[in-house]
Amino acid sequence: MKAANHSLSPRMHAILSLLAGLTILPHSTYLPLPINLYLLFLFFWRFASLRFSQVKTNWWMLISATLGASILVYNQLHSLIGRDAGVALLSVMLMLKVLEVRRQRDLYVTVFISYFVVITHFLFNQSIGLALYLITLVVCLTTLLMEINRVTPTQKLFEPLLKTLIITLQAVPIAIILFILFPRISHPLWNLGNSASATTGMSDRVSPGSISRLAESSEVAFRAIFDRLPPKPQARYWRGLVIWDTDGFSWYNQPKKRSFSPITNTMSETAEFTYEIFLEAHYKSWLYSLDRPLSSPAAATLTSDFQILTEKPVEQPLQYRLASSISKQNRVLLPSMRQRALALADNVTQRQYDLVNEWRAKSNSDREFIDKVLNHYNQQPYVYTLSPPLYQDNPIDQFLFEGKEGFCEHYATSFTQLMRIAGIPARLILGYQGGEYNNLGDYFIIRQYDAHAWSEVWLDKLGWVRIDPTSAVAPERIRHQLRHDFGEQGSPVMFQTDATGILSSTMRQVSHLLDSANVHWRRWVIGYSQEHQFSLMRKFGFNALTHLQWGLLSAGLIAIPLILIGLRLRNSGKQPQSPIISAYHRYCRRLSHVGIARQSNEGPLDYAKRASKLRPDLIVPITRITSLYIQLRYGPNPDKHKLQMMIRNIRQFHPGRR
Amino acid sequence: MLKSTLYHWLKSFRRQAKPNLQGGVTIKARSIYILPTKQGLLLAMVIILMLVGSINYGSNLGHLVTFLLAGIWLINILHTWRNLLGLKLQPLRVASVFACESADFTLTLINPSTLDRFGLSLKHKKRAGDCVDISGNEQLTVHLPLPTHRRGEFLLPEVTLHTTYPLGLFHAWSYAQLDLICLVYPKPAEQGEPPFDTSYTSSDMGDRGVGTDDFIGLRNFRSGDSPKHINWKAYAKQQGLLSKQFGGDRHVEVRLDWDLIVEQEPERRLSLLCRYVIQQEELGHAYSLHIPGTSIPSGLGSAHMQRCLTALARYGDVHESS
Repeated sequence: MKAANHSLSPRMHAILSLLAGLTILPHSTYLPLPINLYLLFLFFWRFASLRFSQVKTNWWMLISATLGASILVYNQLHSLIGRDAGVALLSVMLMLKVLEVRRQRDLYVTVFISYFVVITHFLFNQSIGLALYLITLVVCLTTLLMEINRVTPTQKLFEPLLKTLIITLQAVPIAIILFILFPRISHPLWNLGNSASATTGMSDRVSPGSISRLAESSEVAFRAIFDRLPPKPQARYWRGLVIWDTDGFSWYNQPKKRSFSPITNTMSETAEFTYEIFLEAHYKSWLYSLDRPLSSPAAATLTSDFQILTEKPVEQPLQYRLASSISKQNRVLLPSMRQRALALADNVTQRQYDLVNEWRAKSNSDREFIDKVLNHYNQQPYVYTLSPPLYQDNPIDQFLFEGKEGFCEHYATSFTQLMRIAGIPARLILGYQGGEYNNLGDYFIIRQYDAHAWSEVWLDKLGWVRIDPTSAVAPERIRHQLRHDFGEQGSPVMFQTDATGILSSTMRQVSHLLDSANVHWRRWVIGYSQEHQFSLMRKFGFNALTHLQWGLLSAGLIAIPLILIGLRLRNSGKQPQSPIISAYHRYCRRLSHVGIARQSNEGPLDYAKRASKLRPDLIVPITRITSLYIQLRYGPNPDKHKLQMMIRNIRQFHPGRR
Repeated sequence: MLKSTLYHWLKSFRRQAKPNLQGGVTIKARSIYILPTKQGLLLAMVIILMLVGSINYGSNLGHLVTFLLAGIWLINILHTWRNLLGLKLQPLRVASVFACESADFTLTLINPSTLDRFGLSLKHKKRAGDCVDISGNEQLTVHLPLPTHRRGEFLLPEVTLHTTYPLGLFHAWSYAQLDLICLVYPKPAEQGEPPFDTSYTSSDMGDRGVGTDDFIGLRNFRSGDSPKHINWKAYAKQQGLLSKQFGGDRHVEVRLDWDLIVEQEPERRLSLLCRYVIQQEELGHAYSLHIPGTSIPSGLGSAHMQRCLTALARYGDVHESS
């Protein structure tokens, strides 16, 4: 191809380099600093070489830059393959390719590499904003292709940009059809991938400060959409992890002890709430549910202490359906459970025993004893605060008797320990409590600052009963959200009450709107799966298609927009024809159907004469139409009445064959 | 035998835009060929790679962007097709040339629609002509220079109108046969002097050329004039130094005759005659041309030369000899 050897204009060089830089830009958040600096250097080198002729790029410079890049990537990421190293290499290679662009052929290659770099961003971030940014970039990159395929360059790139936009919009139906129909591997809910980049999220170890740390983060943990009415605010306990063991400082599940066996017999229970959860990647291997789940999603297990565990950590946003029952307690207490639920660390002090014994003596039942403990939290000067003093030696003891300032993990752990001292089986539950209702999308957003810890105790007749000692100190915690201004150490937590001012309520509505768009994005674009695909196909009445039928259906559906756009393109750009001429052409066509075609050199009168000679039976309409046509076409001022008459005559003109 | 049958069978599928009465062609929907370019195939490969990557990482957004590019790839076919559809080519002119020179075929490209068209190139096989953009309702003159090899009539061979617009992923082209003939004169031989005697004959009229016989008039002396020609009488009468002017009374006429050339090979003879025609024209000597079938009386000037060269170009042509 001749055109591919043309050299590029300086303007095209600059735009191409800029677009390639913008394509790489979002990666800069994930790439190590030295690689970012290297990319930045290459970028500025490119512009310097465009601006100043003294700055030249030789082949040996390119080779050493390439080698340097590979060494740098290997040095930083300790690999040349895999996701992170691959992305780093691809970014550097794109920038190096930009450096050596000379001809139009190179522009194609650079644009195609950029297309590839575009999709690598989705391995790290799948937000709407990023997708819009990248699709805009795809359009701009494609505009460059359009620009080099014309002979005279445009003054402003606006015109080719608009045309590319039109082509892109015409491609959207095809993209949607392919997106819906292209077979998805029912990929395991949690994706392969090797990076366990730590994010703020719940840890599987409760120690002083492990939950209050989360109170500073407004990152979304998950969203929940209820099929029917949602539970009341005080019942919105989102169960995550059940913790049994303690070493006196922190609470965790000992890795040696196995998690409890799965249960399946809960299916007979009636579900009070059915809902869908859109979980963000949290890199932990448990799922959240409304307390208490009746089953687990596929590829996860529901254990007999009602945790939903996954085989691998959740590294991709995940979507699952659940059913829960909140009014009935569960009555599973295995002997091994009882043993673990009564185990104590060896740093329980005498004053704890004394306190428990004193209450035990005054109460007749476990229930009364629990009330005594909760009363204690309520009556004594306990403070619910995000910034308690540091309890280093014996956290529970220091909190109970000295500091008396704490966050939910302090209350939950100390309560659980007091129960165990009293011989009541107790365990610690980690999860979230509450959530913000989005009235635009009709769902709940649960953020990291909703993280919470509470206890479950075994009461002989009732089973496992949820007790939230925090509610004894700060009942508002359960009904309202925290307010996120952090005071000095020991300052009590403030709670958010309803609408405070027009501005903040408007802001809230806007953020709800954005979040709602985000949820639909999650549900229909990012989370689109084989199950969605099958259920959609069933809705349209396609059950169990074979591969061949599936392929034919897709091809047929893609052909529809192609044919429609083809027809539209074919008819576009035609000269607007006057109604007089188009009507006359219709008349000529009808005559030619019976074998009297108008010659190219034949005037209307000659044609009429010849036609009349051949078909004397048509002499009257032919003469009338021709005379009207001549009057309209060549007469001084054509009037509408005559035109209508002519059109009517032609409509009624049906020369049959003889 | 089989090969040629197959060739003709395949050729019957080939569509060509046929000329209308004016010798021009209109590119119709079904005479346009479209195939992917190298770049188009490369992008197809990149799209497949992107799809593999998206499947591997289960990235739905990756799928979406990949499918969007696939859609652009497909839609681009229609736009490339549309970029050629409905264009008209008409023959305009071509100047006669000597064999082995390049014939500059000039055509009119007409865009009868309101849509602008871009990146249109005219070519014949590998020979590229002009590359133009044409806006709606515009006509442009486009050139296709083609090398000539032998004298005679050179019919513009089948031309190709070609485009890769808008994205360079596909090329669309259409073949057109246009009615435009270039007359190719024989290639002038390199050898110089004519082998014949120049015959000097008296002209009936006399002529104004420089000679020594007839006195024509006087003019002011210029240094270098022969002293023999100075009009001493006039000088004696104090009229200044005047030179006598003499006109040539002989008319040089060259007869360029086929039969007088020693070389036997007809094309060689034509080639030599062509050279002599040019030479005589340059010298300003009148000449006549005599070749089998045609005799052109003595004359001079570009019209005469063209007449002679045309006769040489058409030598052996059935129409001319009859």
